[in-house]
Amino acid sequence: MASKRFILPRRTFLQGSAGLAGTAALGTSALGTGMLARPMSALAQDKPEEIIVRVWGGAWGEAMRSGVADPFTEMTGINVRFDYTEDNEIRPRIWAAVDQGRVPPIHVNWDTSTNATISALRGVTVDLSDLPNLEGLLPLARPVGLEGYPLVNTYAYVYVCAYRPEAFPEGPPQSWRIMLEPRFRGRIALYDDGIGFNPIAVIAGGGTIDDIPDNMEAGWEFYRQLRENEPLLGEDPDFTTWFQNGEIDIACTISVNARAARQSGIDVEWTVPEEGCKVDTDGLWVPRGLPENEEYWAKQYVNFALSREAQAAWCSALGLPPVYPGLEPPEDLVGDPAYPTTEEDFARLVSIPSPVLVENQPIWFERFNEIFQG
Amino acid sequence: MARAGRQSYPLTWRLLDIAERAARLVWPRRWKRQVGYLMLTPAVLLVGLLAIGLGYMAEYSLHELDLSTYRLVEEYSLVNYQTIVDRPVYLRVFWRTLLAAILVTLFALALAFPYAYLMVRTSSARMRKFLLIALFLPFFIGQVVRAYGWLIVLGSEGLINTALGALGLPRLDLIYNYPSVIFGLTQYMLPFAVLMMVPAVAAIGEEVELASEGLGANWMQTFRHVVLPLARPGFIGAGIVVFTLSLTDFAMPEILGGGTSDFIASSIYDSFFQISNFGLGAAIAMVLVGIGSVLAAAMFILVGTGTLGMTGGGRDTGR
Amino acid sequence: MRGRRGKAVFLWTVVGFCIVTLSLPTLIIIGASFTAGEIIQFPPDGFSLRWYERLWNLDSFQDALWRSLYVSVICTVIAIPVGALAAIGTVRYRLRFRRTLQVYLLLPFTIPLVVSGIGLMLVFGEVRILGQLWPVGVALCVINLPFMIWAVGASVNSLDPELENAAANCGAAPVQVFLTVTLPAVTPGIITGGLLMFVLAFNEFLVSLFLVDSRIVTLPVQIYNNIRSVITPDLAAVSVVYILFAVVAVWLLDRIVGLEIFLRSR
Repeated sequence: MASKRFILPRRTFLQGSAGLAGTAALGTSALGTGMLARPMSALAQDKPEEIIVRVWGGAWGEAMRSGVADPFTEMTGINVRFDYTEDNEIRPRIWAAVDQGRVPPIHVNWDTSTNATISALRGVTVDLSDLPNLEGLLPLARPVGLEGYPLVNTYAYVYVCAYRPEAFPEGPPQSWRIMLEPRFRGRIALYDDGIGFNPIAVIAGGGTIDDIPDNMEAGWEFYRQLRENEPLLGEDPDFTTWFQNGEIDIACTISVNARAARQSGIDVEWTVPEEGCKVDTDGLWVPRGLPENEEYWAKQYVNFALSREAQAAWCSALGLPPVYPGLEPPEDLVGDPAYPTTEEDFARLVSIPSPVLVENQPIWFERFNEIFQG
Repeated sequence: MARAGRQSYPLTWRLLDIAERAARLVWPRRWKRQVGYLMLTPAVLLVGLLAIGLGYMAEYSLHELDLSTYRLVEEYSLVNYQTIVDRPVYLRVFWRTLLAAILVTLFALALAFPYAYLMVRTSSARMRKFLLIALFLPFFIGQVVRAYGWLIVLGSEGLINTALGALGLPRLDLIYNYPSVIFGLTQYMLPFAVLMMVPAVAAIGEEVELASEGLGANWMQTFRHVVLPLARPGFIGAGIVVFTLSLTDFAMPEILGGGTSDFIASSIYDSFFQISNFGLGAAIAMVLVGIGSVLAAAMFILVGTGTLGMTGGGRDTGR
Repeated sequence: MRGRRGKAVFLWTVVGFCIVTLSLPTLIIIGASFTAGEIIQFPPDGFSLRWYERLWNLDSFQDALWRSLYVSVICTVIAIPVGALAAIGTVRYRLRFRRTLQVYLLLPFTIPLVVSGIGLMLVFGEVRILGQLWPVGVALCVINLPFMIWAVGASVNSLDPELENAAANCGAAPVQVFLTVTLPAVTPGIITGGLLMFVLAFNEFLVSLFLVDSRIVTLPVQIYNNIRSVITPDLAAVSVVYILFAVVAVWLLDRIVGLEIFLRSR
């Protein structure tokens, strides 16, 4: 969006024309309460009726509900409402709200660290450095490449190789290169922006981790070969549907989704092939522009999510290693490569720092698009 | 209208007289010729909301994205438009979308005309109702759900493939490809096309066809030389609507295309939401709107608006 | 009529194909909604009403449903005067810049919905009316306006201007002519257009996505957000609810004015 220098002339024009359009603006409607202006005299710690947290749906939202939201409500009496808008789709809405000086649509954003870093760079996040529960967390909790805590990471997760055991009688796939075999033509699935696999493609294509991000050619070559095998590209619900309907045999997806699918009766397993899998983090951040008291309680929510009980409940429901040290993994994930706890676990996985991702993901996305959409 | 005395002057007439005088005050008689513009003003203002939005887009499209702050830089430049031209993927997707829009329009028109014809000409009122209901019901369940219905039918373990398997025939790849998107869009646009056609077909009197038959033509010739030309406004109206809606469609290609047959609306979505490059997304949008408007304008100039009805200046003669 | 059989065969084959392709997804979704299983499949895995029960018990579902109805009503209520006036204006009167106006009024179709959504979000945000439900109704009216203009325009086209002249000849002043001759004559178009606007608004999610927040979410947006995570049969159940609405609406329309209205222009 245009920076400060252009705000005056642009705003005048746009406000003028928008004002014309808005002359028909009447009062609030009966059914929509929306974001009414709070009385400015509210004390900083006045409890709001509710706070709104953006979550992913399905297993993710349920984990947040039982692990963090309900205990928070019990503790404080503040209702927690979930907003199920996709992380990508809420971002321009928050940015527009901050730019236009309005109250943003949510209080807390549960976002990928990369996305959160982008919003932090844009300056729309509130600093969380003063949260007491930040002490004692694993170094993983600290955002990389940013000053202070414009966001805080809450757990790690792995983009595993999920597969249908029936299609692999010889055992779990040892290498990602198995996706190039003709017998899997049309039965492979990737995220439609290449997320979670771009760095792995480089290694699978014969390169090394040092090639990332400057020389990704091995990865693009691998993608070109993969294209011949007609993979399906989609998002999480598509993967689940495809596994359910037997459309695919192998996919690169987040372990949470594979685990949720397995728990609901679909025949799916997962593994970390020899080239490794990408490991990343998710975090929480609070947008700017909230009224003082609501911002205070939004930060309290984030603080609570970092506490021992919340981390234990939330992350074990998800099946992901938390940033709170010393918690036991859920039974079905002990020793699972998708639940890294020790240094050796992490050594098998591929981790790319957020700033590198932020800078390169658009470029990788465009190359990915070019290869697969052509 | 003789006035039969003050007491029996009907209330409605009195009200109408007041209305008349009020209207004269607001809009004097000498502006009578401009009444048309007055009537158009609310619509123009309403669409003006979109025009303002488009203004925002035009503004964004002229700025490049600064990756260190994720804001658009201050300087004006044509970098975004240059990107569209330079990267082959955008041109490929544009072409794919344009081709699909043309194909969907042709198929939809070809299917809609017989449907509209039958609906208008059939003598049984019940059959007419049945056809109308069959047309309208899918309208109510929206694009996304219909697409999922098709996944169940056409999927690799869907109804058709299961039936083929039971007969011992090889399975077909009926979904997650370009043809399935065309198919899905065609059946989605069908109700729109039929609705646009019906007024034109209904306006053709049956006597005209009978006369043609009476002069010795068989039904195919009658169709070709009499009915189709007379139904031209219907084709034009339906064609414009189906074309513009298909060109800008987003949901169907995403769901039925398996991620590899995205249309240009997906590229716009991706620019705005995946890579947060508002400038690029806005530029693609401006190009798309430009292409759509230019093609629509060309159609209007060449053949008129058909049943889309915006002729202006008196009776529609099917121009 | 020569070749009558050939003609009937041709017509009925095409129409039959159309009916099948139009109805097949609907029937499948209806069937799948009664499944006792966990996923949308056809034939359904057992018979049960559990998904409907789940849907009904979901608080947010009922709220979202009412909001969608409210928004659709607002959309229709605005569309009727605006669209009718515009249609009468464009068809009846000589206008300069006719072509420009036509292309301008086609903007809701030539601008992709995603772009319309973002644009309207920015405009409404600037005027500080985001967060309320009625602007959503206005937005939905805007993006579907050409349909309304078309529907009424079709009626206006078949209205003989001589009728209006005749009324004027009998001494009716312009406003009276408009109210007593023009408006009643375009009523079929208004009803057709109104129903169309209502249905389209009731189903719209792409533009609504940008204009609602979690406190005022409408049903299609809620469904859309749900299926971004996992697709369960309550999607089918919701669709069946929509279909029920459709059936009721169509039946009502038939009772009040007769479905034939779509086929007439006068």
